[in-house]
Amino acid sequence: MSTYVEQFPAEARLVRSAMYTAFVALGLGAAFGLLQVLHRTNVLRVIDSTDYYTILTLHGVLLVLTFTIFFLVAIFTWAITTSLDRPLPDHRFSWTWYGLMTGGTVLAAIPIVGGLIDQIDMSAAVLFTFYAPLQAHWLFYVGLALFVVGTWLAGVDWIRTYLAWRREHPDERIPLPTFMVLTTMGFWYLSSVGVALSVLVFLLPWSLGIFEHVNALLTRTMFWYFGHAVVYFWLMPTYLLWYLLLPKVAGGKLFSDPLARIVFVLFLLLSTPTGIHHQYLDPGIAEGFKYVAMTNTMFLLLPSLLTAFTVVASIEHGARQRGGTGRLRWLGALPWRDPVFTGMALAGVMFAAAGFSGIVNAGLNVNYLVHNTFWVVGHFHLTVGTAVALTFMAASYWFLPQVTGKPLWGRPLALGQVLLWFLGMTFMSNAMHRGGLAGIPRRTAEPQYNFSFEPAIGSVAELDAQVVLGGTLLFLSTVLFLTVVLGTLRGGVDPTRIPANTYAAALSEAEDGPRILDNLRLWVLIAVVLVILAYAFPIAAIVDRSGWLGPGGSPYPQVVWVVEYLVVALALR
Amino acid sequence: MNVHDYEKLWIGLSMVLIVLFIGSITYGSVVAGVVMIDDAADPVDPDALGDHPDFGDPGVTQTGEDTYEVHVVAFHPGFNPDVIEVPANSTVTFHVTSMDVIHSFSIVGTNANSMVIPGEVSSMTVELGAPNRYGIVCNEYCGEFHHLMEGELVVVPEDEFELEADE
Amino acid sequence: MRTAHREIGHDEFDPVGTLTLVIGYFLLLVVLWIFVYFVEFLGRELTVVGVVV
Ligand code: HEM
Ligand SMILES: [Cu+2]
Ligand SMILES: [Cu+2]
Repeated sequence: MSTYVEQFPAEARLVRSAMYTAFVALGLGAAFGLLQVLHRTNVLRVIDSTDYYTILTLHGVLLVLTFTIFFLVAIFTWAITTSLDRPLPDHRFSWTWYGLMTGGTVLAAIPIVGGLIDQIDMSAAVLFTFYAPLQAHWLFYVGLALFVVGTWLAGVDWIRTYLAWRREHPDERIPLPTFMVLTTMGFWYLSSVGVALSVLVFLLPWSLGIFEHVNALLTRTMFWYFGHAVVYFWLMPTYLLWYLLLPKVAGGKLFSDPLARIVFVLFLLLSTPTGIHHQYLDPGIAEGFKYVAMTNTMFLLLPSLLTAFTVVASIEHGARQRGGTGRLRWLGALPWRDPVFTGMALAGVMFAAAGFSGIVNAGLNVNYLVHNTFWVVGHFHLTVGTAVALTFMAASYWFLPQVTGKPLWGRPLALGQVLLWFLGMTFMSNAMHRGGLAGIPRRTAEPQYNFSFEPAIGSVAELDAQVVLGGTLLFLSTVLFLTVVLGTLRGGVDPTRIPANTYAAALSEAEDGPRILDNLRLWVLIAVVLVILAYAFPIAAIVDRSGWLGPGGSPYPQVVWVVEYLVVALALR
Repeated sequence: MNVHDYEKLWIGLSMVLIVLFIGSITYGSVVAGVVMIDDAADPVDPDALGDHPDFGDPGVTQTGEDTYEVHVVAFHPGFNPDVIEVPANSTVTFHVTSMDVIHSFSIVGTNANSMVIPGEVSSMTVELGAPNRYGIVCNEYCGEFHHLMEGELVVVPEDEFELEADE
Repeated sequence: MRTAHREIGHDEFDPVGTLTLVIGYFLLLVVLWIFVYFVEFLGRELTVVGVVV
């Protein structure tokens, strides 16, 4: 029994680097978040409103691409090596993907930041969704593509490690953490191909002036083909931590390993064929396709509802092993003073609330009520902004000692940090949801118009005050987090004071579940078929309406013919 | 596989929830009659809207006794026309398109809310009641002056309504 | 590491607390959904209905 850095010193270095990159992105992103909050509410405007969108692009890109995905590769590298008990096969290869991801981020950031500096004739204020015909400098698209390729190679690294293990253990069940990584990567490859094609085939050539037009609806659809799956890409490492780390710190065992596998298989199958639910209010897409996306999305509730049960039951198991009793009194027996536990548990509570606002977003016609309003911003600050971000921060308090060999510094501060995040987000997100119901739009520097918004209860001033208060607390919480990280890094190495590198065992073990669960080839195949069913016809219809490059009579280059041929061939199968 | 009885119960309840959600949404479509923005309108050429029979001269036209059509062109950062006047107790169909990037056409505080995509036309029909004024915003980021993009829908009493002469 | 007070195996564990919590969540979802869907949404004016033209 020893720490991760003692078992895998080389991998620990990689995991550390990825985590530090994530933390830098988090710190910057939070600072921009505070700027946005103050600007929108007109409390303090330090930038021009025209620059607001550059700041918002940075906030989005740094937080939901850089912070989340760098943390993900750290967790997944840990999960693969720990659960297979073997190192990554080739460290040069590993650093290559890390380098591609970092280089891609920097290249994408250059033109965004360039937008703030008059002397630099570059800009990319296109937000993290980069809907054409808003155009970014070509470097932005190159950076994105490199970043995505980096994540693909990271996946190759994990798969190679798994295959090497498989050769030596032909009959064993896949260890659960590895199973989670592999299923997640399955849908990541499937979905990110869409955005990669959109960038490489359409947006990059267009930004270089090779095409004059692109089809705005087509590139938008290709973005959302990836855009729903990417939210599960953020969520899967979070679920991994809830299934594997949370029961352990609660003092219990994972309630059921086979159910965890079922959950991940469902995500593999359903993450991608649901993306059209972001386009309920788009013209040019038939209502039938939207209805299908809605039903697929509602079935995607099942794995999350199952997770709620499994995770809470695992925690309850811990509480009862710690001597907890009663119907609900056991809650008091949980280790609430442990920031790792409390942070993750509160993140879970907020995710339950987010579940509700997400169902409303997903509800086809009720989406008219909330689409692109502040409600949506409230929603995803509960999901990616808390369920994911707070879990990652809380888990860092466990991981940092593992990968550095240095005990956590400032435990009470860390506990205060997670509580502060919860409190701040309660204010900010609640006010955002309510503001959205009153019609306040998102992505707007000055939501102050000639008419006024009328919330059902309360006033806009009161909502603004809550947003500012919440945003400020969140920013302070981030500063506290970074303080604890730095404090820990400044400390000395002392592995004897660090818990061993293990994860939760299961009450109902892998062997209780059918073997077919581990048949990843089968699941990937079904996922591909579902994606073709969900997307071939909508894409064919969009292209049929306005062509690959949209209305406007542009040249038809060869490469596009190839893509067209493939899609039509698929559509006719 | 051994699944605990409570968990089986929870799977059942989860299915009930899913059916409840899909059921109410279907009720909204079929019984309450809410329709989604769809592909009914033909695509247009965003570079040649000036030559378009309707978008070339956007605004309100009467199509029946109590029915009106409003053509709106969205551009960064505004709507043409920006003030839309229609009579109370009428049925109005908006047709909105964009001459540049993606926008939205969202009547604040109501369920009339649509993305506006160049090359496509968002058509939506609403039933108006008593005289009222509504703000209209673009809630999709469309460029550095996006926050200036707004309009107004003025529902005037029937007897005060006058169709602007089509020049 | 904190030590578990007692070991509880698979067959002795009935997650009755979990069941209570998730049923509470179920009821909350139903109530909130009815409020947002039927009151906030269907109760509003200017709802998009079938295209007449
Ligand atoms: C200090 C904490 C934070 C504050 C104060 C904050 C504040 C905000 C505000 C006010 C907006 C809306 C801007 C607008 O629509 O005009 C926003 C957007 C957003 N935030 Fe945050 N946020 C914080 C943390 C996070 C975190 C941790 C994440 C994710 C990991 C996140 C992800 C996003 C995303 C994806 C957007 C949407 C960007 C877009 O519309 O393109 N935020 N944030
Ligand atoms: Cu989605
Ligand atoms: Cu706009």
